[in-house]
Amino acid sequence: MAKLVEIMGITHSPNFPGQIAGPDPEPAIVEAARDYELMRKRMAGCRPDVLVVIASDHLNQFFMDNMPAFLIGKAPKAEGPFPHELRTFGIAPYRADIDVDVARSLLQLAPKMGVDFSFSDEFRIDHAFTVPLNFIRPEMDLPIVPIFTNVMAPPIPPARRFYELGNALRKMIAELPADKRVGVLSSGHLAIEIGGPKEGRSSSDPEFDRRMMHLVGSGDVETVIEEATWDRMMASGNVTPGFLNFVLLMGLADGKPPSVSGVRFPKSKGSVPYMAWDVEAGVLP
Amino acid sequence: MSKYQVDKVMREVILDMKTANAFKADTEKFLAGRDLTEEERNALIDIDYATLYRLGAHPFLLNGFTRLVWKGDRAALNAEYRKKIAPFGYPDFST
Repeated sequence: MAKLVEIMGITHSPNFPGQIAGPDPEPAIVEAARDYELMRKRMAGCRPDVLVVIASDHLNQFFMDNMPAFLIGKAPKAEGPFPHELRTFGIAPYRADIDVDVARSLLQLAPKMGVDFSFSDEFRIDHAFTVPLNFIRPEMDLPIVPIFTNVMAPPIPPARRFYELGNALRKMIAELPADKRVGVLSSGHLAIEIGGPKEGRSSSDPEFDRRMMHLVGSGDVETVIEEATWDRMMASGNVTPGFLNFVLLMGLADGKPPSVSGVRFPKSKGSVPYMAWDVEAGVLP
Repeated sequence: MSKYQVDKVMREVILDMKTANAFKADTEKFLAGRDLTEEERNALIDIDYATLYRLGAHPFLLNGFTRLVWKGDRAALNAEYRKKIAPFGYPDFST
C-alpha cells in the first residue's frame, strides 16, 4: 500500500526564478527563495518515490474547445514548458518520467471516491508545473503524476469541489496497490491580475493574501470555502482562482492545519506563499 | 458576440511564432472565414485591445496577444493599457 508522506504548496510565478537569479534582488525575494530552499529540503527529507503534481494549464493546450475540470496525464514522459513560455520568461525546462502505474491506478480508484477524472496520453506541462518542480526537485530524478485543474476558463469548479477532490485523492493514495512513498506538490498562487486594470508588479490584493494564508494556516476549511468564491477571487485579481489548487491541499490534509506556512510580499511581484503538511512526522493521523 | 472565436485567434497567435507572423503580415486574410462579428474583426485588425477587453476577451490571452503583435510604441502600450481598459471594469469573459 502506498503512503502519503508530504503535502506541499508553492507558487508557479514564472518571473520568480529570474528575480532570484537577477542582480540585487529585493529582501522579500531573497527571503522567499530561502523559504523555497527549505521546502526543497523538506520534500527531499520525506524520500518520496513519486510526486503527484497538481497544477493548471494556462490555456496552452486545454482550451475552451475541450476543457477538462480535472485531468490526469498518463503518457510515459512529461516535458515543458511551451516554447513561447521559454521565450517570454526565460525559465528552465523540466523533463520527468511519469509513473504510469500510479496514474492508471488513480484513474481506476477515482470513481468509487466520487471523482471522474479526464485523462490524456499526449500533453506538455506548462510553467505551472515546471517552475515548482524546478524549485522542489531540480534533479529531475523522480517520476511524477501530473494532475491538471481548470482554474482559467469559467465556469471553474467551486472551492468546495477542490477541497473534496483533495480529500478523495487522499483516499485514492491510501488505496494505491504499489508500495510507494507519495509526495504531493501543488502549484498555485494568491491574488494576481493579468491583462486587467489592476495589473501591477506586486500583489493585486495583499489583504486577500494575508487573510487566505491565515485561514489556510489555521486549517479553517469552511471559511476558506465560504470566502474563496469566483466573485471574491475576481475582485482580488482576475487570475486569483489559481488559489484553489491550495484549497485542494486542505482536503488532501483532511482539514488539518499545515505543519508550516507563510507568505512573503515582494514589491516587484505577487505574494510568494508556501505551505507544507509533514504527514509522516505524526502531524496528521 | 463570439468570444470563443476571439480567444481562439489570440491563443493561436500566442502559441506559434509562424502563426503570429502570418497574423501580423496580413490580418484580414488570417481572419477570413472566421465566425467573428464586424466589431470583433475590426478590433483584432486594429489591435484595439480596449474593445476586445470590453467584449469579454479572456484577459490572460489578451495580455499575451497584445504584447506579441503590438506594432506601435511599447512604452506607450505599457503606459496606456490599464488606463484604456479601466472604464470597462470586469466584463464577463466566460465563453
